[in-house]
Amino acid sequence: MRSVVFFTMASGLALAQAPVDFQREVRPILSDNCFHCHGPDRTTRMANLRLDTRDGAFAVRKKGAAIVPGKPGDSLILQRITHKDPALLMPPPQSHKKISPQQRATLTRWIEQGAKWQEHWAFQQPAKPSLPSVRNTEWPRSPLDQLLLARIEAAGLAPAPEADRRTLARRLALDLTGLPPQPADVDAFVADASPDAYEKLVDRYLASPQYGEHRARFWLDAARYADTHGLHIDNYREMWPYRDWVIQAFNKNLRFDQFVLWQVAGDLLPNRTMEQQIASGFQRCNVTTNEGGVIPDEVQAMYDKDRADTTGAVFLGMTVGCASCHDHKFDPISQKDFYALTAFYRNTLQRPLDGNIYDTPPILVIPRAEDRDRWSRLPAEETAARDRLDAAKSAAAPGFAEWFRKGRHKKVKLPVDGEAFRLPAGEMSFDAKQTRELPNQPLFARGQAFSIAVRLFLPKSTENLTVLSQLERYPDDKARGIAVEVNDRRPFLRLVGDDNKAIQVRGANDRRMAVDAWHHITVTYDGTGLRDGLSLFVNGEAVPFEGASETFFDLMGEIKTPAPLRLGGDGNKRFFAGGKISDLRMYPRALRVQEARSIALWPELQQGDRAAAEHYYLANVDPGAGSAYQNIGALATERLAIRRRGAITHVMQENADSLPMSNILYRGQYDQPRDKVEPAVPGVLPPLPAGAPKNRLGLAQWLVDANNPLTARVTVNRFWQEIFGTGIVKTADDFGSQGEAPTHPELLDWLAVEFRESGWDVKGLMRMMVTSSAYRQAAIATPAKLQADPDNRLLSRGPRFRMDGEMIRDYALAASGLLTVKIGGPSVKPYQPDNVWETVAMDGSNTRFYKRDSGESLYRRSLYTFWKRSAPPANMEIFNAPTRESCTVRRERTNTPLQALVTMNDPQFVEAARALAQRALLAEKNNPAGQLNLIARTVLARPLDVREQTIAQGAYRDYLRHYDSNPADAKKLLAVGESKPDTSLPPAEFAALTMITNQLLNLDEVVTK
Amino acid sequence: MSLLPFLKPNLDPTEECVVNEGRRQLLRGGLGAVALSQLLSGAPKAEGGLPGLPGLPHFAPKAKRVIYLHMVGAPPQHDLFDWKPKMQDWFDKDLPESIRSGQRLTTMTSGQARFPIAPTVFKFAKHGKSGMELSELLPWTAKMADDITLIRSMNTEAINHEPAITFIQTGFMIAGKPCIGSWASYGLGSTNQDLPAFVVLNAKHSHPKANVQAISARLWSAGFLSGQYSGVSLRSGGDPVLYISNPDGVPTQMRRRMLDALGEMNQITAEKLSDPETRTRIAQYEMAFRMQASVPELTDIKSEPESTFKLYGEAAREGGTFANSALMARRLVERGVRFVQLYMRGWDVHGLLPEVLPSQCKDVDQACYALVQDLKQRGMLDDTLVIFGGEFGRTIYSQGKLTATDYGRDHHPRCFSLWMAGGGAKGGYTHGETDEFSYNITKDPVHVRDFQATMLHLLGIDHERFTYKFQGLDQKLTGVEKAHVVKALLA
Repeated sequence: MRSVVFFTMASGLALAQAPVDFQREVRPILSDNCFHCHGPDRTTRMANLRLDTRDGAFAVRKKGAAIVPGKPGDSLILQRITHKDPALLMPPPQSHKKISPQQRATLTRWIEQGAKWQEHWAFQQPAKPSLPSVRNTEWPRSPLDQLLLARIEAAGLAPAPEADRRTLARRLALDLTGLPPQPADVDAFVADASPDAYEKLVDRYLASPQYGEHRARFWLDAARYADTHGLHIDNYREMWPYRDWVIQAFNKNLRFDQFVLWQVAGDLLPNRTMEQQIASGFQRCNVTTNEGGVIPDEVQAMYDKDRADTTGAVFLGMTVGCASCHDHKFDPISQKDFYALTAFYRNTLQRPLDGNIYDTPPILVIPRAEDRDRWSRLPAEETAARDRLDAAKSAAAPGFAEWFRKGRHKKVKLPVDGEAFRLPAGEMSFDAKQTRELPNQPLFARGQAFSIAVRLFLPKSTENLTVLSQLERYPDDKARGIAVEVNDRRPFLRLVGDDNKAIQVRGANDRRMAVDAWHHITVTYDGTGLRDGLSLFVNGEAVPFEGASETFFDLMGEIKTPAPLRLGGDGNKRFFAGGKISDLRMYPRALRVQEARSIALWPELQQGDRAAAEHYYLANVDPGAGSAYQNIGALATERLAIRRRGAITHVMQENADSLPMSNILYRGQYDQPRDKVEPAVPGVLPPLPAGAPKNRLGLAQWLVDANNPLTARVTVNRFWQEIFGTGIVKTADDFGSQGEAPTHPELLDWLAVEFRESGWDVKGLMRMMVTSSAYRQAAIATPAKLQADPDNRLLSRGPRFRMDGEMIRDYALAASGLLTVKIGGPSVKPYQPDNVWETVAMDGSNTRFYKRDSGESLYRRSLYTFWKRSAPPANMEIFNAPTRESCTVRRERTNTPLQALVTMNDPQFVEAARALAQRALLAEKNNPAGQLNLIARTVLARPLDVREQTIAQGAYRDYLRHYDSNPADAKKLLAVGESKPDTSLPPAEFAALTMITNQLLNLDEVVTK
Repeated sequence: MSLLPFLKPNLDPTEECVVNEGRRQLLRGGLGAVALSQLLSGAPKAEGGLPGLPGLPHFAPKAKRVIYLHMVGAPPQHDLFDWKPKMQDWFDKDLPESIRSGQRLTTMTSGQARFPIAPTVFKFAKHGKSGMELSELLPWTAKMADDITLIRSMNTEAINHEPAITFIQTGFMIAGKPCIGSWASYGLGSTNQDLPAFVVLNAKHSHPKANVQAISARLWSAGFLSGQYSGVSLRSGGDPVLYISNPDGVPTQMRRRMLDALGEMNQITAEKLSDPETRTRIAQYEMAFRMQASVPELTDIKSEPESTFKLYGEAAREGGTFANSALMARRLVERGVRFVQLYMRGWDVHGLLPEVLPSQCKDVDQACYALVQDLKQRGMLDDTLVIFGGEFGRTIYSQGKLTATDYGRDHHPRCFSLWMAGGGAKGGYTHGETDEFSYNITKDPVHVRDFQATMLHLLGIDHERFTYKFQGLDQKLTGVEKAHVVKALLA
């Protein structure tokens, strides 16, 4: 039952003539039943009647007005909703909608009372309300309490007494850190007689580094953060620095307006910091694809919609996506508004297809902490090094002139020393199906650096061409070796390991080579097995690459093969038809750019070209320039090393060459673009702040502007939901007409204004909520409360609800002592049943096989668990974790047998039980009662009462009897999990105590906050 | 061990005692496997299982349950179901522009210089009383031509796998809506309290070169419906249901003892706080225990007679094969599971079609026949709907190089074939026609949402009235556009 109806009943039955609340009681009836045909959508509006605006609803029409204040008899709307003739009855029978007699009565009373109209509450500016009077003036600690209490009292209820200190300590620890409290901390709190004992505990938990982890976990649902791209191949995406930034932002208590600003447009801020750029990854967390055959426009439209939807749900509480095919049916958001909102996100350098690589541009390199300093100084040093080279070049001018004049250049034998192979001079032409085989070159092996330089004539051809290769093919189309190719007119280098996994690079899109022309290409490999250890040069210039590869595996296999070196083909289906080569040289090291250029300029040098000679002189003869080149090379090596040690993260980057724009897509179809639209915010809301740019930065500024009626409300509501279980607006992602009206509109406004005025202080908001009297109530329900407030929406008792899967798992790990206390870093792969990934994954996916980690990675907090979107962590999904394919701001909370199976049988939980049993056995030797007590105080934050002790001890005796007579079972149970049990402990007792711990970890009280 | 009559407050306490007592006898070895199945999962009890919606079904259903065999990747209709003999004269000729008429193509073939027609290399013949034309690759299916309705005029809007599978399974191309199985279990609930209402099976294929498409949990997600309506995977490796097995060293009677003690302690919490969720949790733990007994019983096919393996083929003995999964599907519906969704991958024949397709067909053909006949023998075919099909069709022209013996086919949304059997579908009937290229539909098109509306109709559900309020809209499986029940398909 919708609580709207519930409140109508509760108050309505008692006070038939109480004033009807338009927002809470009337608008939902109109919205549900009428707006579909008499609402914002122009195209489906019937009879030119609109009931979502005051003007529309009260307009005098031919036969009268739909609503005549004070005159129910004259109001056409009442006539029509009770009409006998089905042809005239509203809503029409075929709509399958019905207005109940009770709703009719509400509408009638509202009209009788003068039909007071208010525009939709969520679009009005929130203002601090005057505080209601309450009977129990002792109870409220703050306006928050007072606003709640007024409603509790109005329902004829009284708040529950304050919970005991143990319960409070547990509740606080769970809400502020996501972990159970340490037993010693609970004892200290119980014993602390100071008047601010509670506040001290609150501040301690707020200051704990685990606070940020816990808050981040909720936010990551909203941000749809995950470790894979999501669709089709669903390969790895490196994104965890963004996750770590979120944790730190909460821990540092970054102002929430800045938190929003950075995530929407951190990349556009003047003098942006690395943190601000990382934060912009919020809008790079969306699902992407590289499915063969997809149409880029279609994919782009999908990304646009996702980003607009996410902005709507997370910041505005609006279902803007409903307006992607037509004007919104219920809220004043037109289709144009929707596409104007998408326009903010469209001016990006991100391409629609993700390339199946882990670093789909635009990305940002995140060096390790110890490298940050060097990393930040590298650009200046690189500039200085280039300047030094320029200076060295100038200084070398007289020396060169002399050298050239003496004709020394004519004596140069080789463009670059140290050749391992050279093809005799002359051109070699190829046609289709013709390759030339040369003896095998031993140069190519996984751990061996090499370079290949060749001059080639690129024919007119749409085929992919193989210039040369040393590939061995075996059955099933597998191969190993190397190939130099021209792929879509771009140089392409491929190293294939004998495990059939390749590293490969292709020149960027804008570096296509002209056909019917000669080019010089050099490809190099540094022997590291890493994709970024490959380089491409065209005519002596380094060429950036793009993600042409379906894989990004490091080269694990061996590329050494006895196959011959083939010129003009790959020995299989590819050739170099119409192509020519000359001047093929190979080197047993990775050449630098100046060396690649020396080779490219070799013919000119031989013809006595002065510029070519000068380049040679600088690179090889002049010591000053030589050392400058070396310096540049060393810096490049250092840059690469830092990048390899560090991480990358996906960020937003605006296209500087164009302005944001979008097209309205007819019926939401990507292939039917209509009118162009500029970026703009929905017309029903205040405009962009004065002076705000018309781009994402402007959007971000608007979201957190004091005039925006939604962002602060939506935000406090979501934090309220984290603490109290349900938002003041239950539909946390929909503050629109069809969302549920707030149970306490004044409280929501009070919190929103207070939050904004506090400087968007999240920790302050948390403190305000958890120090309230409402929060501190015992979670005891009475029959009267279950009747009048079944879902505890009035907070007539303390909040109590099942924890999310992550908390349940972290709880067991923390209680067991196995938890690895470490913040951040790459995602980890703890225990997971076999075949969860394998069953659904594509053959070519690099997240096809789940390879479990070992050691401390098994025991990290659950927000660090690797999240594959097409198969999320099994033990989280069973507890209603979303797939992270789209923004989720409200998780469902079911209660199912599959959940019981997880906490009873998952090795993670069984091992945790064993570890806690071991702690108890070691701490309380030969004292079963003491062992039980220690376990209870750890998992429940309290000792067991007498009844519970009797039950637990009885069960323990039965377990012990079994394990005494079945030592093999004890051995098996103790062997669950990777960590090793203490073999000095008596196995039967150990196993029995493990079962008791397993039992306690499954208690309703344990899985519930 | 104490009895816990309060475990299921809604049940008659005496009955609960009987169940517990029986279970205990069983654990002591007092009852056989037959009794177990009767006791725990046999005769459906009205009060057990997931409840459906009040007022549903809307009218007397023809089908009470569904087995949906989805061939992921899209089987080629030209080589299996939609015979176009004239195409033999068109070998390597270009597809006329008048036929393609501006059709959008995937970016896999949109760059192709020409679109050479690839007639099927397989022979067709007429089968059954109706003379249904079927390929030589499906000899077993051909034997049951009189049991099936073959739709040759299916059509969709999506041209790539992800959106197309999502569309036919959820009625929408972008993930996030509930799938058909979730809708069915939401509307109709289940008659078995020990097994999920909606079960998903993933069958493996045998040809190493088959081109495999991804599937993912989103395809059996409940979307905006409650998570309890999500499909539960019945797996062929490891635990058949995730986490169903007790840890090593914890025998069943130990788990029973633990649950008794746990229940008693939870009962104290329930009394202290009066939170109804606590009582629900007690009941859910009991159901988990019952599942622990009924799932192994379900998956233990050793009890099947030899005749079963004759019928389904020897492959049915091996876990995870299509034949094994089909057998499992029968065992599931027999036990009251409402909706069984089976996914079989490897049908995405962009190339090597003549080599791969026979193997794919061999993997499924006999077992499809066996499943339908098995249901018939058990008197269950009349009220069990079996569906076989992919997410779209394939092109008459070859993708990549066409030779006399080798070709591949790209994606084609404009027409594809799908068959249904039992559950009120008309047997021995072919519906819809396509042009001589099987490129465009010429008669009786069946859009994906018509197919969905028809399936719901067979389940006794009016798709127009079967809605769930989400984001302010009355959401339905068939979406916003008008959908039609295809009356001609009904028996």
